[in-house]
Amino acid sequence: MTEKEQQQILEEWISQHKALILKIVKVYAFTSMDKEDLFQEILIQVWHSIPSFRHASAVTTWLYRISLNTAIKWTKKEQKHKQSEALENAQYVLQESGLPIDDRLSWLYEEIHKLDEIDRSIALLVLEGCNYKEMAVILGISESNVGVKINRIKKILITKSKNYDDNGI
Amino acid sequence: MEFEELQQIWDSQNDRPLYVIDQKALHNRIQTKMKRAGNITNFSELLLILVNLSAASFVLAINVFSQSLNIYMYLMVAWMFGTALYLLARRMQRIKGNTRFDRSMLGDLNYAISLATYQVRLSQLMRWNILPIGALSIFGVLSGEKPIWVAGIILIFFVVAYFASNWEHGIYESRKRELKILQDKLKNEISQGPSMS
Repeated sequence: MTEKEQQQILEEWISQHKALILKIVKVYAFTSMDKEDLFQEILIQVWHSIPSFRHASAVTTWLYRISLNTAIKWTKKEQKHKQSEALENAQYVLQESGLPIDDRLSWLYEEIHKLDEIDRSIALLVLEGCNYKEMAVILGISESNVGVKINRIKKILITKSKNYDDNGI
Repeated sequence: MEFEELQQIWDSQNDRPLYVIDQKALHNRIQTKMKRAGNITNFSELLLILVNLSAASFVLAINVFSQSLNIYMYLMVAWMFGTALYLLARRMQRIKGNTRFDRSMLGDLNYAISLATYQVRLSQLMRWNILPIGALSIFGVLSGEKPIWVAGIILIFFVVAYFASNWEHGIYESRKRELKILQDKLKNEISQGPSMS
């Protein structure tokens, strides 16, 4: 595969699936600079992964795998090296669209962000509507284990949402 | 709220993109990052092979041209060529083994751990490798009837190199530990059943 072909596939994947990547970025990174850094890190890993994509799974499944793996590893790295790279002078890739954001959605992102790095990926996949089988493939664990995790995360989110309904927090 | 309501809130963002992507800036950043991102394992392997080959060739050339019969120097040459050969074999083995991991989260973690284990072993090996090379160098200098202070300087150099390599080894070990924690979390936490942590 030539570099040009690889670049074309990357551009195609970004235009079709950018929402998927941006949701993962928003779940794992909090500040604008972190979002920039993680977004770029994910795209680099996706770019590297293109030659090994064999169409054995859907593009979305592949992108979830690569993006979530990168995000989890990035979180670990980020905890240690908060200021590892100066992004202050970097050219910004992500720009806020300026559309008003639903408060409940911001609250939901905050609650997911409070979960540990692995639970965050499961919460995201559940909300994205992935089934047990897809999640097992993406995470590399058994469907029954996925089920246990999902139940726990759903309980946490529902309990927290009751507080939000009652107190607006 | 029930979970279905949470899902509706989540889905509401699908029709309202919160970010736009500057394609040109993105392309520039990826190119810059990719150029910068060096593979540490790859680099250290190639560097070690090159250093061992060059040092062995250099010492061999000096010994041959000066018609020296210093056995320690020839032993050191053989040792360094052997090390380079061993590193080359391990590198080929590592590259060949890269394909056995799937691209799931666990597969990716297993791959990262195997790479970290490899780095830990490599740095440990190189740390212990300082001892025979150091010893052979000092014996070589002493049997070549050089002043004792030359041997002293060489000894200090190898002691510093040993501690520096110990520090490097610690970095790889800590990286591997972090990955193992993450792997255990993914493997074991689930099997312990539901909890509200």
